[in-house]
Parts: sequence; C-alpha cells; structure tokens
Amino acid sequence: MIAARLLRGAAGVAGFLVAAELFIRFGLGEGLVFPAPSAILLGAWELLADGDFLEGALATLTNWVLGLLAATAVAVPAGVLLGALPPAERAIRPVLEFLRPIPSVAIIPLAILLIPVDELMKVSVIVYASIWPILINTLYGMRDVDPMAKDTLRAFGFGPLAVLVRVSLPSAAPFVATGVRIAAGIALVLAVSAELVAGGAAGIGVYVNVAGSGNRMDLMMAATFWAGVLGVAANLALLAGERRLFHWHRARTGEVES
Amino acid sequence: MTRTLRIPAVVLGLALALAGCGGGDTPASTPTAGGTGLEKTTIKVGALPVPDPAALYIAQAKGFFQAEGLTVEPVTITGGAAALPQIESGALDISQTNYVSTILAAGQGKKIKLVADMYQAAPNTFAIMVAKDSPIQSVADLKGKTVLVNNLRNIATLAVTSQLKAAGLAETDVKFAEKPFPEMGNAINSGQGDAIWITEPFITANKNTLGFRTIADTMTGATADLPIAGWMASEEWAAENPRTLAAFQRAIAKAQQLASSDRKEVEAILPTYTKIDAKTAAAITLGAFPATLDPARLQKVADLMLEYKYISSPVDVKSMIVPTSG
Repeated sequence: MIAARLLRGAAGVAGFLVAAELFIRFGLGEGLVFPAPSAILLGAWELLADGDFLEGALATLTNWVLGLLAATAVAVPAGVLLGALPPAERAIRPVLEFLRPIPSVAIIPLAILLIPVDELMKVSVIVYASIWPILINTLYGMRDVDPMAKDTLRAFGFGPLAVLVRVSLPSAAPFVATGVRIAAGIALVLAVSAELVAGGAAGIGVYVNVAGSGNRMDLMMAATFWAGVLGVAANLALLAGERRLFHWHRARTGEVES
Repeated sequence: MTRTLRIPAVVLGLALALAGCGGGDTPASTPTAGGTGLEKTTIKVGALPVPDPAALYIAQAKGFFQAEGLTVEPVTITGGAAALPQIESGALDISQTNYVSTILAAGQGKKIKLVADMYQAAPNTFAIMVAKDSPIQSVADLKGKTVLVNNLRNIATLAVTSQLKAAGLAETDVKFAEKPFPEMGNAINSGQGDAIWITEPFITANKNTLGFRTIADTMTGATADLPIAGWMASEEWAAENPRTLAAFQRAIAKAQQLASSDRKEVEAILPTYTKIDAKTAAAITLGAFPATLDPARLQKVADLMLEYKYISSPVDVKSMIVPTSG
C-alpha cells in the first residue's frame, strides 16, 4: 500500500515536471526567458560540486537548526507556564495575538540595525518567527488535557507539579511536536529570507543573490530547489518522529492514516 | 502589565544571552598586533557580487592585504543602501557603497566616510535599452513612457534624468518603476514597462538573448566618467582605526592600479566571486577602476544630485573623504 502511494506521488511529480517543461519550452510567450525544469535540475545537480553553495547550505542549515532549537527552548516552557496559569494566559493573549501576525521578514531591517553580529541577527529573526506556532500549540495542548485524569491524580493526593509532569506534559507533547514541525518550515523561510535581505559571508540566500547579479537564473532556481528539498526533508523527518513517539495519541484521537 | 510583557522579555533575554556568547569572537581581542601596529588585523568588508569591487578580490588573491598584515573577510551585501545599517551597527568594518546613496545619507546627517574609490563609469557601461521591435528610437521618444530602474531616487533615475534634460525633457515626463536587473528583460516583453536602465552583465545578456537595443548611453555629457561606487566606513571606525584603514587603502590602491592597467586581471578574477563566467567576462563592457579618490571628480555627483533635488542643500564631498595617508 505504501508502494502504491509512493508510485502515485512520483507520478504526480513527474507529471508536473513534464507539464512545466512543455509550458516553458513551447507555451511561454516569445521574448520571455525562464529556465526549464530540466535546466534547473541539471543546475541543482551541479551545485552539489560547488564549494560556495555547499558552504552556504551549511551556514543556512546551522542558523536554521540553532534558531529552531532556541525557539523551542523558549516557547515550550512559556507555553506550559501560561497553560498552567489561565489568568496569565488571558492577560498575555492580546499581546501574542498582536505580535504573531507581524510578517517576520519586516523585522529583518530592524534586526540588522540592532544586532551587529550577522549570524546572531539571523538566528534571532528565525527565533522570533518560529516561536509563535510552538507557543500556541503548546497552549492548546495544555488546554486539551483530560480534566478527569488530572482530578483522579489529585484525588490520590498528587501535588500540582506531579499532575503537570505525569498528566499534562505527556498529554500536550503531541501538540508541541506539531508546533515544532510547523515552526521548522517557517524557520527555513526566515533563514533564507534573512540572507536575501541582509546578505552575508555564505548562505543559500546569499548564493541566490550572487547568481542573480551574474544573470544566472538557472542557478537561482537550482539553489531555491535545494532549499525546498531541505524543507520537505525536515518535515518528513519530524513527521516520522511524531508518528514513532506519539502513536498512542493518534490512536486516542482516532486520526486516520493519511 | 509586567505579565503581559513576559514573552517579549524572554525573547529579548535570549537574544541578549546569545549576544553575550557571541561577543567573545568579535575582534575586540586584537590590540596592537605583532609589529604592524594595526588597531584591527581582521576586518569584514562588504561587497556586491558585480564587477565594481574586483580590486578587493584581486588584492585578496595577490596577497596585498596579507602584505599589510591585514586579514580581510569578504561579505556579500545586497546593496549600498542596505549595507549602511551594517556599517553603522559594526557588523561590517568597510563596505562597498554607491556614491548617490552615500551622499544622500550624508545629506541626512549620517556620519559616513568615503575611504577609497572603486568604480567609475565608462562609455556604454550604463545604458537605456528597449525591446528590438520597440518604436522608441531615442531619449526624446521616452516622453510619457515607463522606464524600469533598479532603485528609485538613486543613480539610475539620476542618470536617466540627466539624459532626459539633454533631450529637452524633464524627470516628470517619464514614469519610473522599480525592477531588479535580472527581471527587466522579461518585464519589458510582458508589457510592464517601455525601457530599462541597465548595466553589465545584463546589457550584453539582453542584447544577445532578447535582441534588445541600446537607445542611449547614460554616462555621456554631464554624467561622462561619473564616479559610481566607492568604499565607505563609519566616521567612528575611521577615527578609531587609522592604521588599519591606511593599510586597506594602500592594498586597494595597488589592486585598483592593476585592474585599470590590465583588463585581463579583472576578467580572471570575476568568475571567482561572481557568477559571471570567463566567456561573459571577456565580452562585457567594464568601467574604470581609479586608484585615487579625487574630490573634484566626486563633487560632480553631489552637484548633479543638488541640481535634480536629490539633496536639499549643497554637500561638500571633501568633508566626507578620508584621504590616503602614506
């Protein structure tokens, strides 16, 4: 069954590539230039032997991982704390709802001005953007805890800390994991955007800028392609981790195999 | 109220904590370095991946910085205006800038110094181009048309405006719209504009792949040999690091001399820091690489900016220049 699903997915990707290739080669108006998928994939293959690109990809990856880890380290405790203290959550909610929708790319120029160390500036912007989904999901997870389970533990004389550790945290964990997975995608967007806006010594976004200035749209698209591959890989890895760690959760909520 | 501030405070606290960790490797740890007397031996220098800063990479490759006891870490920037906050914050020690941006910033009271010259216009380095079947034949035909430029109110619009004036038109007779250089060709062919102001390698690329025509060289008449780009530092940095700056100036001047006397040097270095390959590098038109920053030549830029009201009061560029010392 998994084989059939993979086959269908591969057919979809192949169909898209063929359609895009045909459209760009024959359907694009005269006088418009855009690299066809075959050219982009060839460029992507060549990038694997390009030291500048590999160094850049490593720099982007490092900022991405650091940013995501820092955001998780901040957002999960904050979410647990707010989830455990409903009055505090109600008080802070309006601020959250205001800060959350600010497009994070818009704060990059401010970050450039305020933070003189380039890598720290980029990581900070990533942290700012990826905190919200983790925080909000943790809050929801804390709210979703079965009150009966909490009451049962209390009836047996367990204190609030024990209830938190034995019931609330395990129950909220799958929500937290989903939050981290959503944040991973956002963090990658910001890791590359910060490089596109601010430049830097190396990075996927820096490479895209260099390719653009040299009129190499094929390399721009090839570098972008790899950023996409990184995003897909991270999502799959986190999804697999969630399935392995929280299979009981899926069973409980009755979620069907997607 | 203190509660509502908790999350941002946590974020800020983390940022500060990280700043504290990162602070260790900022080069405050280089007092007078072994014998050379440089205040700072490792500097971050911002440059665009275009032909203009070729001398930086020539100096790097030929060991001119090394000979001065200087380690240069090149950083790719996204534009002179974007690099300014990085110079102000100290993220960069020295950076490429275009003179219009710098003079605009100086007009707004920013404490920026020009420390060396980099790139000067030569014939056919900045052109107005149109599609091959466009009815536009000359600058006068641009009346009522849309001209695509890389930045509004900068060197592009200044150069085009000066050509408009020569053709008896005013700035208000055309409409300017922003578009990145790589996208200009497609933008014209899909009807988003009528003409483009563009530089190399895009002049050659648009001519060869799309059959675009040059209707005017914008670096003629009042803008002939116009200084385009230079190296900047903050006033504070220049004052605190005079010997480091002098070392940088000497190495860059040497590389500029090489670049201006032998085009092959520039062609050889271009593929190493840009995505311009050797074949394209040999075909494109290059500007000049002056070895000294001449205030009289640079004043022309400020005067043009005053004439077209980019700045509201005269700027004496001499006061912005840190001359080469020994």
